[in-house]
Amino acid sequence: MGQAAYLGEFEQLLLLAILRLGSDAFGVQISRELEARAGRRISRGALYTSLDRLEDKGLLRWKLAAGSPARDGLPRRLYVVSAAGRAALRGSRATLQRMWRGVEHLLEEPSS
Amino acid sequence: MTDRTPPRAADWLLRRVLPAGPRGDTIRGDLLEELRAPARSPRAAARWYWRQTVSLACRYGWRRSRDYGERRRHMVLESLWQDVRYAVRSYAKTPSFTLAVVTTLALGIGASTAIFSMVNGIVLQPLPLPEPDRLVYVNETNPKGDFISVSWPNYLDWRARVRSFEALALSRDEALTLTGGERAQRVRARRVTANMFTVLRVAPALGRAFTDADDTPGAAPVAIVTDAFWRGQLSADSNVLGRTLRLDGVQVTIVGVMPHGFEFPRFNFPRPHDLFVAMGPVSGSVNLTDRGNHNGFSAMGRLAAGVGVERAGEEIRAIAAALEREYPNSNSGIRAKAAILADQLVSSIRPTLLALLGAVCCLLLIACVNVANLLIARGAGRQHELAVRAALGGGRLRIARQLLVESTIISAIGGALGVAAAAWLLRVLVAMAPDGTPRITDVRLDGTAMLFALAAAALCGIAFGALPALQASGGAGQQALVRGRAAGFVARSHRLRRGLMVVETALALVLLTGAGLMMRTLQQLTHVETGFRPERLLTTRVQLAGEHYTPARRITFSGDLLTRLRALPGVSNAALTFSLPIDGSNWNSIFTVADKPIPERAKLPSAAFTPVSSSFFETMGMRLVRGRPFDATEAPDSPKTVVVNETLARRLWPGEDPIGKRLKQGWPETPDHPTKSGEYFAPWREVVGVVSDVKFNGITSETPLQAYLPLLHEPARSLAIVVRATVEPTSLVPQIEAVVRDLDKDIPLVQTRTMDQMLDASMARERVSMIIFVMFAIVALTLASVGLYGVVAHGVTERTHEIGVRLALGAARADVLALVVRQGFSMAVAGSIVGLLASLALSRWIEGLLFGVKPTDPATFTAVVATLLAVALIACLIPAHRATRLDPTSALRAE
Repeated sequence: MGQAAYLGEFEQLLLLAILRLGSDAFGVQISRELEARAGRRISRGALYTSLDRLEDKGLLRWKLAAGSPARDGLPRRLYVVSAAGRAALRGSRATLQRMWRGVEHLLEEPSS
Repeated sequence: MTDRTPPRAADWLLRRVLPAGPRGDTIRGDLLEELRAPARSPRAAARWYWRQTVSLACRYGWRRSRDYGERRRHMVLESLWQDVRYAVRSYAKTPSFTLAVVTTLALGIGASTAIFSMVNGIVLQPLPLPEPDRLVYVNETNPKGDFISVSWPNYLDWRARVRSFEALALSRDEALTLTGGERAQRVRARRVTANMFTVLRVAPALGRAFTDADDTPGAAPVAIVTDAFWRGQLSADSNVLGRTLRLDGVQVTIVGVMPHGFEFPRFNFPRPHDLFVAMGPVSGSVNLTDRGNHNGFSAMGRLAAGVGVERAGEEIRAIAAALEREYPNSNSGIRAKAAILADQLVSSIRPTLLALLGAVCCLLLIACVNVANLLIARGAGRQHELAVRAALGGGRLRIARQLLVESTIISAIGGALGVAAAAWLLRVLVAMAPDGTPRITDVRLDGTAMLFALAAAALCGIAFGALPALQASGGAGQQALVRGRAAGFVARSHRLRRGLMVVETALALVLLTGAGLMMRTLQQLTHVETGFRPERLLTTRVQLAGEHYTPARRITFSGDLLTRLRALPGVSNAALTFSLPIDGSNWNSIFTVADKPIPERAKLPSAAFTPVSSSFFETMGMRLVRGRPFDATEAPDSPKTVVVNETLARRLWPGEDPIGKRLKQGWPETPDHPTKSGEYFAPWREVVGVVSDVKFNGITSETPLQAYLPLLHEPARSLAIVVRATVEPTSLVPQIEAVVRDLDKDIPLVQTRTMDQMLDASMARERVSMIIFVMFAIVALTLASVGLYGVVAHGVTERTHEIGVRLALGAARADVLALVVRQGFSMAVAGSIVGLLASLALSRWIEGLLFGVKPTDPATFTAVVATLLAVALIACLIPAHRATRLDPTSALRAE
């Protein structure tokens, strides 16, 4: 067993969103991705403090990118999931799969 | 893309709360980008921006304040830790000071908490029963106002008429012999009317409570056992209901088991009750149905809603008065009194506990004063150090905090030791408590008391510990630095210390007086003329229970028992009696004298009637004053005779020869021979002898009128055996046990004690009070003398220079000695005067505890003041002597 950090659901969603966005993962895009795919509208306060927390845990990194006129030239933070973050995601997925195994049929939608 | 700008206030707020640098910038950039996204209307966009700002402000604002708070706390902790280390170092440098303060605190807190816990458990805590403040004790009183027990017919009338009570029950203690097991044993029972459980509001956990049917004469005997008895004696048998117990030879059916933890309120029984029995078996007996008989019952009632004890008392008194009019023959002079049960239970011990509580308050005060004194002295000695610190930039607050930390640490250590001392002392006190102390099992170390004592001592320590801090950083501090000593503060602290010393001496004197008076009391008690020789006297009791012990069989048993006891090696004489001296009477009755006019009913004389066997007076070592003792003349059917004590003879026949006079137990109209109706009768008895008075009800009560009857004429079922031994009396117990078992294997010996033990037990309360008072007095005297020594010694140190000058100018050493001693001794004298006045003012608080000595006893006061002044003198002489040996040159150079 590795020392993979335990990931909360929201943390998983954030990391997956960053992975999906590839090189375009900054705040605005991340929140859009979460809203579009996961149906989550989240406050920016929660968004940035959660990102900070994931950064503190070493699960993601960021680098600065130049700003645009639309943001009065203020820079962007582009996020990248770190190796540890990927490991944590794999661990979470494996855990979920183990738990799911053998119970799918109990949760099948009614056929009609 | 639109050219919207963010709301200015929101932008300002964001700049304040978000982290500086790229972290904050990127967030604001993201927000701007979204604000300007065309999807939203301008107003919606502005609202959105505000919402996000608030959410960011909440999250980041909180994080920032938390980080800031942590840094600050860290700093504070760091410097506090510094203070603590500094304090510990400085205490370690002055171990005797530290030890004095800590010991004083521990003693004060320990003693006061332990004693308060006792008082609280016994007097103040409510009884462990539902709504205990509505439980009322009701009893009848004789014309003198003493509680006597309640007559059964009177009770039945009360119960029928009274309105102030929800229910009024009657009960009495009984000792029953349980047989059928391996060995016969005595069990403690309470005979109760069925409604007792209604009054107490407690129902059996198993089975049923008694019903009125159980109370009717001739009802089958039933019992309810306590949880402890059920577990201990009946192996917690769940099928116990319906089982029978053989009690006093009668099969009694168990109908219930009381819940765990239930305890019937106890007046005198040192042990909890084992079981409860119903009234049925006795309620029809002639003894109970005679209204004039008071058979040891007391009533207990639960007040009806909204009724106070005063109103209930008035109603009971009114009913008693009505009964007195209706039944003048039996009820003349008989009144009734009601009191809250909890108060009544502890009425005998309350004065002792309150006096002890007073003593302990004194001790706590002394401890506080002593701590204050020590801390002030230390503070005065540290003026220079503190002034230097202030001059070097130590803030006023910083220095005050340092001193506060020091005081708090020492108070905490003293307090912790005090708590340990309290726990230990309380265990000792409970173990020392006289047998039968009510509610002693309710005594626990009391949290509130402990907190109070801790707070008192800590406050005192902190207040006086921090006092120098206020001086140090002010103007006086400058002076202190320049002149080496802050004269103003020192002078002020001197006055304060001298004042405190006077208070401390006064308090110590109050405690010493209490101790002195208690010692005198005990001395008086041990020198009381008991009227008999207690040495090598063994006493024990047997009960001839059951139908098969007819009067004739009882006479045979008593005869056989005496013959065998007297034949035992190591026994010089043996006798039987119904009631023992000191132990008190079991049979008090009105009586009538043949040759005197009959007084009005309320003034009929009453005596303790005591059936005794032959040689009782010889065995006890009582003196025969006139006539003869009971001897071979007495036979079961011989003419009835009586021996009276001196008090009775003097009261009834002053100046006459009582021999040959006649008296009859009971009312003037009580028949003196058996009647057809089976009525109670009492024969005339001729006085054949007069014996010396003995102390009968304890050692402090006046000897009552006493009438001794021949056991052959009144063959009692309950008998005390008295054995005069030529060997160590307790060594005879196994042989006596064997003799009794041989006669009847179902009779156990109970209450086996030597007469010396009985005498000791009768003074137990006074002895315990004395021990505690003396302990307190010693502690108080020690603290006061150490305090005095400290003040005087400190004074000498302060005045080294002055004394040096005096010596250099040719003052005699004796003058210097006198100077120093006078200063210290004047405090002790002033304290003694204040203490004397206080003792006189407080004397009535201790009056109830004293015997044979007045609370203002001049001899005691003189001795106490002399002791205090002698100790004070020594405390002053030691430093004074040191002062006279000062070398003038070095004393002058020291400045």
